[in-house]
Amino acid sequence: MGRILVANRRGHQVVEWTTTDTEEARAQIAEAERIIREAREHGAVVSKKVDGKHVLDRSPFDPNVEEYQIIAPIAGG
Amino acid sequence: MPPWWRRLFGGWRHASDIITADDGAVERPWLRRWEHLPKRSAGLGFTRADYAEARRRAREVARTTLGEELWERLQSQGYLDLPSRRRAGLTYRLRVGRRIEVRCAPGTRSPWPYDYLCINPAYPLPEEEFFAQLYLYVRDDEERILRVAAPQPWDQALGRTF
Repeated sequence: MGRILVANRRGHQVVEWTTTDTEEARAQIAEAERIIREAREHGAVVSKKVDGKHVLDRSPFDPNVEEYQIIAPIAGG
Repeated sequence: MPPWWRRLFGGWRHASDIITADDGAVERPWLRRWEHLPKRSAGLGFTRADYAEARRRAREVARTTLGEELWERLQSQGYLDLPSRRRAGLTYRLRVGRRIEVRCAPGTRSPWPYDYLCINPAYPLPEEEFFAQLYLYVRDDEERILRVAAPQPWDQALGRTF
């Protein structure tokens, strides 16, 4: 089971997927990948949990990652 | 929206809405424009209960993001220091909901004319959630901090967090 924490004004919301070989799981993974891609295209950054710690990540979406987080774009001022 | 209400009017939801683990549609803030919002606001229609719930959830995720050790340190001292990886002697002091304070060891020259860096999220976020995100930026992508930070002569609360 993997998940994305989508940080927003609600605090965060969670999108989850499973890696079982079913149609439903494939659809969940496709949706999760789409969210990550869309957020990146709009300037957001993604972090992933590695050894229990979140690090900024530029690699393509990997369904085997335990947890992603979408990090807001930043601006000065 | 309560589940029974959503079941009743589920057909009104946009087909592209994404469903979360707790069965609510995910708000994707990168798709909206937020310039019109008053400072330190989440927008119209956000109730006191919404703010309280958002802050509670933000606290959870900030704690997870930082890990127990950093979280405890933040709670006890009220800030986290991160030494620069690019400039020896320079330290970023991060505080929840405030500008970053730039601290220089004796003999170190700051790249900025002022000691406070104003950096906001592009959309409104609870301040503890953004704190954890800013921590990741400073630690893992200092280049971006150097590029976007707006140096300011005084400390102040951030305008885009609440």
